[in-house]
Amino acid sequence: MQPGGRELEAMNINSLLNQEQSLQEMNNHQNGQPQMSSHFDPTSSHDDFLDQMMSSIPSSNSSFNWDVSSDAARADHALPSTLLSQFDDQSAQLISKLRQHQISSGAAKVLMLQQQLLLSRGLTGNGLRTPSGASGGESGLLQIPLNLTNGDHADVVDGSFQSTNPADDASVQGLFNGFTGTLGQTANQSQHFHHPQAQNFGASAVPGMNQPAASGSTGGGTPAQPRQRVRARRGQATDPHSIAERLRRERIAERMKALQELVPNANKTDKASMLDEIIDYVKFLQLQVKVLSMSRLGGATAVAPLVADMSSERRSSNGTQTASSSNNNETMTVTENQVAKLMEEDMGTAMQYLQGKGLCLMPISLATAISAATCHSRNPLAATNNLNTSNNPLISGEHGGPTSPSMSVLTVQSAAIGGNGAGEASVKDATSFSK
Amino acid sequence: MKARTGYSTSLKQEFLKKWIKGIRIYSNFKKDMNILERKKAIKLSADLAIASTRNASTRWSRTLTANISKNETNKIFVEQIFSDSEVIKKEAPSRLMARSNRIASKKIWRRSHITQIKARKMGPYAVKARSIAKKLVKNRTKVLKSLVPGGENMDGISLIKETLDYIVSLRVQVDVMRRLASAAENSTRSL
Repeated sequence: MQPGGRELEAMNINSLLNQEQSLQEMNNHQNGQPQMSSHFDPTSSHDDFLDQMMSSIPSSNSSFNWDVSSDAARADHALPSTLLSQFDDQSAQLISKLRQHQISSGAAKVLMLQQQLLLSRGLTGNGLRTPSGASGGESGLLQIPLNLTNGDHADVVDGSFQSTNPADDASVQGLFNGFTGTLGQTANQSQHFHHPQAQNFGASAVPGMNQPAASGSTGGGTPAQPRQRVRARRGQATDPHSIAERLRRERIAERMKALQELVPNANKTDKASMLDEIIDYVKFLQLQVKVLSMSRLGGATAVAPLVADMSSERRSSNGTQTASSSNNNETMTVTENQVAKLMEEDMGTAMQYLQGKGLCLMPISLATAISAATCHSRNPLAATNNLNTSNNPLISGEHGGPTSPSMSVLTVQSAAIGGNGAGEASVKDATSFSK
Repeated sequence: MKARTGYSTSLKQEFLKKWIKGIRIYSNFKKDMNILERKKAIKLSADLAIASTRNASTRWSRTLTANISKNETNKIFVEQIFSDSEVIKKEAPSRLMARSNRIASKKIWRRSHITQIKARKMGPYAVKARSIAKKLVKNRTKVLKSLVPGGENMDGISLIKETLDYIVSLRVQVDVMRRLASAAENSTRSL
């Protein structure tokens, strides 16, 4: 498949990082699983409010694996950007290798070299394939030392199964291990294991590449000009404008790949959805900072103005954004603001307002317990409106999925969770009513 | 791509130190704060701390610091924390504007020319689809620019670079804040 081979060549030369992404794509396609694996992690830790916080953030995709599990055993890890610099060096080496082969012998050896790369990627990619779905934040995989050789790939696979939600960090780590291994050895890996992957990879890489390189090149029978940084393709003008344009596009593509490793659920191929994910992630992180800065600050009464303040802040800064928020979000925000306002005056009226809407106020631990026990699917939780106010009452609305009993528990226990002896502790009896 | 220096633990420690220092200065500054002010103080010092870890080498950190310093009361606070001159004013916008204008006019010519060529080659529908995709990307880039501090007049490439850096710093910030919060809660609970 000559054109395909040439395409692969070009891709290699342009950016090796592309391969990771398309490999992941391929793996995901093979899995047939949607990337939005609805995995809600009912942590029993104290920092549940953030989990609730996250589930309230609207998004059409329920892919909230940004769930940061606050287990203390989290090791610190080198963030992917350090790996990027390594990638650059190694990619430079590989590029020079490829060039040499190109000049001397032509496509055959080049393809073989590519195969090496693909195999190494394929190995690690396969190892990480099964725990599907990316999750943000840190994962338990980080104990894998960076100097794993190829022989230890079994460890990679095992390690990947240990973590609850291997993050993209993990995948980057694994790929990095594979990469170092590749450069250290010649192509003597277990080829039988990788061949099917390599072939699929070749097939899927081409369409994957054609999207970013949308310069309309036919790509057929391209002459190799080793000296130039960018090769001219037949049927395309070689004027400096298009070359510069192509260069610019490639740089953007490189950076997007780097971002993909950082942002969870970043298996999207096109720029627009990638940008969407990035935007959501940045918003999410900023919101987390805001929430964290007011957590653990004090009693229940004091929190109400904080809540109102936060929602008003958010509203003012969101003045310009339009289509990104879904309708679900809109109604939730309105409700939240209303409740916040009411909470300032009187908790009682706030409670009544919530009751009227069919929502209730409950502590976070209870919410997670209920969700773990009853809700099997993510959807009821996605509709849950959770606003955490430190150790304090938490607004949650459970519309009740098909399996969960639509039980609304009216409990306001502000003191129970924190044991802080907070100001008010109006504990009402748990009443249940169905909607 | 520029290589990034080694990370997390040292970065987190630096951020933590600066953050706590900021909070301490703030509380010395203003003895009695109600809860809103406390929250603002915390957030402010956190933002300042994380921006300063970049030593004003990135656009977002400069913008963040500048935005905080815009408020008069904060300015004193800022200057007190950062006795060393990390607070750098933003670059003069005039230079950037000239550059972007020139580039914009070139782009317009090139775009029209290229669309003509493509329309001849690929047929009208593909061109339309492509333009729709471009519009989407453009809209989202605009949103991203509004999110990242200082992202307003940056081109696509550097915007993505800034976003990368910003996301990394945000993650560090969130992680450290979380740990501190949980540690604080654990300590009160065990008492």
